[in-house]
Amino acid sequence: MMRLPLLVRVLRDPAAVRGLDGVGWDLLLRQADAANLDAFLLVLLEDAGLLDAVPAGPRAHLEWTRTGAAGHARAARYEVRQIRKALDGLDVPLILLKGAAYALAGLDAGRGRLFSDIDILVPKARLAEVEAALMMHGWITTHHDAYDQRYYRQWMHELPPMQHARRGNSIDVHHAILPETAPVHPDPDSLRACARPIAAEPGLATLAPADMVLHSAVHLFFDGEFDKGLRDLVDLHRLLGEFGAQPGFWDALPARARELQLGRPLFYALRYCPRLLGTVVPPAVQAAVASEGPRGPLLWLMDRLFERALLPLHPSCADAFDGPARFALYVRGNWLRMPPMLLAQHLFHKAFITKHNESQAA
Amino acid sequence: MWRVTPGQALACREWDGEAVLYNDLSGNTHLLDGAALDLLHALRDQPADAATLAARLADHFDAGDDDLVALIDDMLSALAGLDLIESC
Amino acid sequence: MLTVGSLSRAELEARMSGAGLVLRTGPFANRIRSDVEPLIDGVALMYADYPVDPEGGFVDFHLDFLRSGGLRRWVRSQVHFAYDGTTPFQPLPLGQAYPMLEWTMNWCVSHRAHGYLIIHAAVLEKHGRAIILPAPPGSGKSTLTAALLGHGWRLLSDEMTLVQLDDAVLVPLPRPVSLKNGSIDIIRAFRPDAVLSRPVEETTKGTIAHLKAPRDSIARAAEAARPACIVFPRWEAGAAITLDPLPKARAFMQVADNSFNYQVLGARGFAALGRLIDASDAYTFRYSSLPEAMALFERLALGAA
Repeated sequence: MMRLPLLVRVLRDPAAVRGLDGVGWDLLLRQADAANLDAFLLVLLEDAGLLDAVPAGPRAHLEWTRTGAAGHARAARYEVRQIRKALDGLDVPLILLKGAAYALAGLDAGRGRLFSDIDILVPKARLAEVEAALMMHGWITTHHDAYDQRYYRQWMHELPPMQHARRGNSIDVHHAILPETAPVHPDPDSLRACARPIAAEPGLATLAPADMVLHSAVHLFFDGEFDKGLRDLVDLHRLLGEFGAQPGFWDALPARARELQLGRPLFYALRYCPRLLGTVVPPAVQAAVASEGPRGPLLWLMDRLFERALLPLHPSCADAFDGPARFALYVRGNWLRMPPMLLAQHLFHKAFITKHNESQAA
Repeated sequence: MWRVTPGQALACREWDGEAVLYNDLSGNTHLLDGAALDLLHALRDQPADAATLAARLADHFDAGDDDLVALIDDMLSALAGLDLIESC
Repeated sequence: MLTVGSLSRAELEARMSGAGLVLRTGPFANRIRSDVEPLIDGVALMYADYPVDPEGGFVDFHLDFLRSGGLRRWVRSQVHFAYDGTTPFQPLPLGQAYPMLEWTMNWCVSHRAHGYLIIHAAVLEKHGRAIILPAPPGSGKSTLTAALLGHGWRLLSDEMTLVQLDDAVLVPLPRPVSLKNGSIDIIRAFRPDAVLSRPVEETTKGTIAHLKAPRDSIARAAEAARPACIVFPRWEAGAAITLDPLPKARAFMQVADNSFNYQVLGARGFAALGRLIDASDAYTFRYSSLPEAMALFERLALGAA
């Protein structure tokens, strides 16, 4: 396998930052930024007790991400709270997916991870009610073009993403984890049946641990949008690390994947996480998923494709700094990403609460 | 009955009878006058209803405020709308 | 110490078209690469007194300003800004390349440097007292700033006041002062000594020129300042000069409203702004005459207003 970019080497072994010079730190931070892993890099180094050894220049940049991550976590919590309020009267089980799930359930995968939408899973039969309740509380549908609306509603059988009119944050309401047009159909009823309530958050739930892992794997390996590829792989690595310590998790994982028709994505997850990030997977589990993978030439091709696609999208990952360039990566950073969750919140309420009742809410 | 919403630390700064307050839940910042701030501090000590608050805080308001309970009720609704307090 | 001005034009161009010119502005190192003449001209003139960092060090911001390629190269020359390989903004005509550098340097700081509360305000210091001038566009803040710089005031910043989070100390980021439209002529008349960049027309803000920062302000960029006053200025034709105290809680809200990252900073930003307000007297300020304004600010600097 080709020599790994600096960022990936550090993800595998944080101590690799010892002895980085100014240029090395510069490169590491730029790769992390391009991969949307800069806030995570702070968490990684702090957990490893390496933060104090970081030189002042790069240390400042890492600390800058702390603020954004904290503000994001607060905003995410608040947004979920508003969603729960909006859906309160419907008695619909509210299952959080992806970033919002990791954040609200206090999972390790949520620390230093920013995201721009809240994703929730509700029963298909309740979609219309959920949409109506959200609209009553200030969310409006996006993608107003008639074609787009049809695309979502009739073809993908999904609601178009909704955006809160005042706060600007987006919510994606799902009834399944893959569109009906996908080649496999993980049964949403089964996913919901196994959902776990979040202890500290009444009314909120996440998918079961195995299902969370499988959901993450599905989107990484089915979506084909690899600009967040490494970040998604890091999610998987962290989820597997946290859940792998729970009794029975590994044993049940292959069978659950087969049950949900997600054996192939699990195969890829358990192949590329160890290869790129050094994730530890029990040999018995590897053996159990081996038959789910593609054979010979196709596997070879997928290896080449994924290994390239999962690296940080940064010019340096294809240049001479880290060794001979063997492939060209298109550079499409996510620099334009909105500071997630934070943009449209009005700075201060113009409601001036006084005993003279002069409040004018803005 | 009202109480301060769990999670609200009521971080505030006061100058000359007007205060700014940081809303830990929404991330917004609010401008309040002294009376509103007193209401919040009173509720932080102990959950209460409008009548109890009117009795406890009567000397913080002008003598001319006739229907103090109704006034406080309005203020409580406004504060609830900002997620600073909630009914309990 | 190596400065931009001590490089020959050939050396400057070689650096900017190669490994990049690493320009130090206040606490930040900016690596600038460009092949666009008007931009190199702007840097050579406006940044002559600024330190150049040696290569091989850590850089805070990587900015590339390159001629856009393809067919448009022949149709109408454009420059596009790439931050470290990505292109967040629409390309602009070549003539606007230098203002583009200034805007994007501001953008980098305001979007990233969350170790400071960053206020959209000018900040100047005299006699050990720093005055912060928040103002939305069109309030005459930059004209006032440019005028004050000719009266012995030190420039900490024209656009971005950096407030250290834990102690409300003001960190200098002295950079050229941007002037628009009528202000350009006003300052030319009021300060014949001023060095201005070539005015650039037809930007979204009208005609833009920049005023070179005083050498002394650049030399003292490492010298922090303590806040003394916050003044919200407004120029109004024919207005009598007035300085009215502003209640602190209201000042707090107005400063927060004029900040780039107050919202991002959350509780820390609230605490930092509280400290700033504690330390400062706040005022609203109306004026029509620059000489009168200069005299009033002198009294503020002496703590005698």
